[in-house]
Amino acid sequence: MDQLYGIFLYAVFLLTMGGIYAVLALGLNIQWGFTGLFNAGVGGFFAIGAYVSAILTSAASARHLGGYDLPVPAGICAAMIASALVAWGIGRICIRLRSDYLAIATLGIAEILRLVLKNEIWATNGARGISRIPKPFEHVAEPWNQVGMLLLVFAIVLVLYVLLERARRSPWGRVMAAIRENEDAARAAGKDVERLRIEAFILGGALMGLGGALMAHHIKFIEPNVAEPVSATFLVWVMLVIGGSGNNRGAIFGAILVWTIWSATEILTTRLPSEWATKAAYLRIFLVGLALQIILQKFPEGIFRERRFQTSAASVHPPPFNRENTS
Amino acid sequence: MKRILTAAVTATMPLTMCLGGAGAMAADVKVGSAGGITGPIAELVVPIMAARNLAATHVNEQGGLLGGGTYQLVASDSQCDPKAAVDAGAKLVNVEQVVAVLGANCSGATNGMAQSVTIPAGVVMLSDSATAPSISELDDNDLVFRVAASDAYQGRSLAELAWANGYRALAVTYANDDYNAGLAGVFEAAFAELGGTITASQVHEPDKASYRSELSTLAGAGGEGLALFAYYGSSGITILRNSLENGLFGKFLGADGMMDNSVIEQIGADTLRGNIMLSQPASDTEDVSYQAFASAFEAAGHNATSPFVAHSYDVSFLMALAIEKAGAADRSMIPAALRKVANAPGTVIRPGEWEKARAAIAAGEDINYEGASGAIEFDKNGDVAGTYSLNGVGDDGTWTTM
Repeated sequence: MDQLYGIFLYAVFLLTMGGIYAVLALGLNIQWGFTGLFNAGVGGFFAIGAYVSAILTSAASARHLGGYDLPVPAGICAAMIASALVAWGIGRICIRLRSDYLAIATLGIAEILRLVLKNEIWATNGARGISRIPKPFEHVAEPWNQVGMLLLVFAIVLVLYVLLERARRSPWGRVMAAIRENEDAARAAGKDVERLRIEAFILGGALMGLGGALMAHHIKFIEPNVAEPVSATFLVWVMLVIGGSGNNRGAIFGAILVWTIWSATEILTTRLPSEWATKAAYLRIFLVGLALQIILQKFPEGIFRERRFQTSAASVHPPPFNRENTS
Repeated sequence: MKRILTAAVTATMPLTMCLGGAGAMAADVKVGSAGGITGPIAELVVPIMAARNLAATHVNEQGGLLGGGTYQLVASDSQCDPKAAVDAGAKLVNVEQVVAVLGANCSGATNGMAQSVTIPAGVVMLSDSATAPSISELDDNDLVFRVAASDAYQGRSLAELAWANGYRALAVTYANDDYNAGLAGVFEAAFAELGGTITASQVHEPDKASYRSELSTLAGAGGEGLALFAYYGSSGITILRNSLENGLFGKFLGADGMMDNSVIEQIGADTLRGNIMLSQPASDTEDVSYQAFASAFEAAGHNATSPFVAHSYDVSFLMALAIEKAGAADRSMIPAALRKVANAPGTVIRPGEWEKARAAIAAGEDINYEGASGAIEFDKNGDVAGTYSLNGVGDDGTWTTM
């Protein structure tokens, strides 16, 4: 009985984290899946969201900026606004760049943001991080505290899904697809391509900030490491590509599937004798890579394909995006 | 879709069966062993895990836990990242159903895991190497302990040692990670308070090929020596080499992150002898407890000077003592027992003396564990006071207490 209860609680943790990644993947889906913007700086927006919400909601501390004691929802809203503003600034400068150049620019900017957060010690406590970030439902008895957090995350994912599906079907969503498929044609049709691309960039950035804020409240502690590229940028890319870019359901499913593979493989490797433990951790990363390769080989366009507005033989699919495992 | 679901179900079936099987052997006691196995401090964690396992071997070879049960450490990779640590902790506490957790290693990972998983679940956590002062401040219901002293102690202690050894003006450089940055901050403040001068302070990013530009800036500001806060592998050795090759600094002070024999091997014992002082938490290398641990650890083929290994042995051994003292593998009884077996008064138990400890506990005596890393007396925050030894390069070309 204890064992079943334990597995239930672990599933709650697993899905909470998967849900937070789903928010990030939905944000990236707006940028890459809808509009074709290659943002390789997910971690930067994630970090802004995490830090803004952490600073606004945590108790006063001599080590970092804070003591505003705002309620968590206010912190989360501020996190989205801050990330959106940063995305707007970056978009104004970089959005004209073609996809691969945009990738290089955003990758660089995300690293700059992370290093600023690491070195502006007066505000962020540098590498030591911000501790004691409030968590929704934390004063409720276990397991309802963890279940409450899970329901909150899933409610947010659901609301985002409904809104983004509406956006995707709307004229706005169709223009985005047009820009992705053929920018010149969209421009010739009288669309303000630059402005629309910035809109997608800002909206995606705001969702990444939301994901960062949720992560900060979930783990109650944030440090610059949390936004390092492997687990904050490339993992999100893997999730979206495996789930199926351009498809909101794919983004959510991909996030939960990849996080489950990422996390649950350890349950297998801990069955090995303890002397092997240090080696088994690397074996696990190998298993994760292998699983991702198999999925990508089997579903080159992601598990959920993008649903087209009309299916004609002439419609061009985005090229399959096959990336080496990032670990 | 259907095929994936079928595959997922078939894949998890042996897993759940396996989990069910583990619960049936009631005599075994499972304790989580979380550490940064992969990630930025991976090379430090290999000996750390080995030291925890060595203590478990000692316990199991000398009669086991709670009347013959196996003391089983379940390793989990916290990756030195709070996100991964929360995930690792959730698995240990819920899926593995451990009664307590050793670790994690990095302060950030320890902080996240404690606040998000172990404290709400009422599981005690005992870290061997988390040194951030913020861990003392957690609302932890007395569930978070550590045998590594907060940096607040080590930075101050090193400043006092530097002052006592005649240093009055020092340049400081530190690696930009939670451990070294925190230590350097305390050191600078304490050294200035004593009346010393910090001529310049420069942060550096680890894992760069060269630190000449940082070092020439520092050397330009003067100073009698360089206080170097870094891990030996990621930047420490490179900084020593760059400083010596270019004649920028000849005297060095540092903390335990630098204390590894590979430093002497790569720079040379003769070059370093008399020119480097490192503080190390407690483990007085002449101490009986340390010797007992070090000889066993070396015999098992590991390097006893590697940072934090003495602490790692101690957390593992202490947890076994606490479980034995509690008399049951019960999460709620272990925290109080942990304080009892670590703190004086009581029969003194040293590393490896499991049989003696078991007999004493059975006889109802109090236990006072004198660990390889120091006497280990927990205060009300679950912290230990830091006592530090000063180490230099001895005549035999290894680190020796001065």
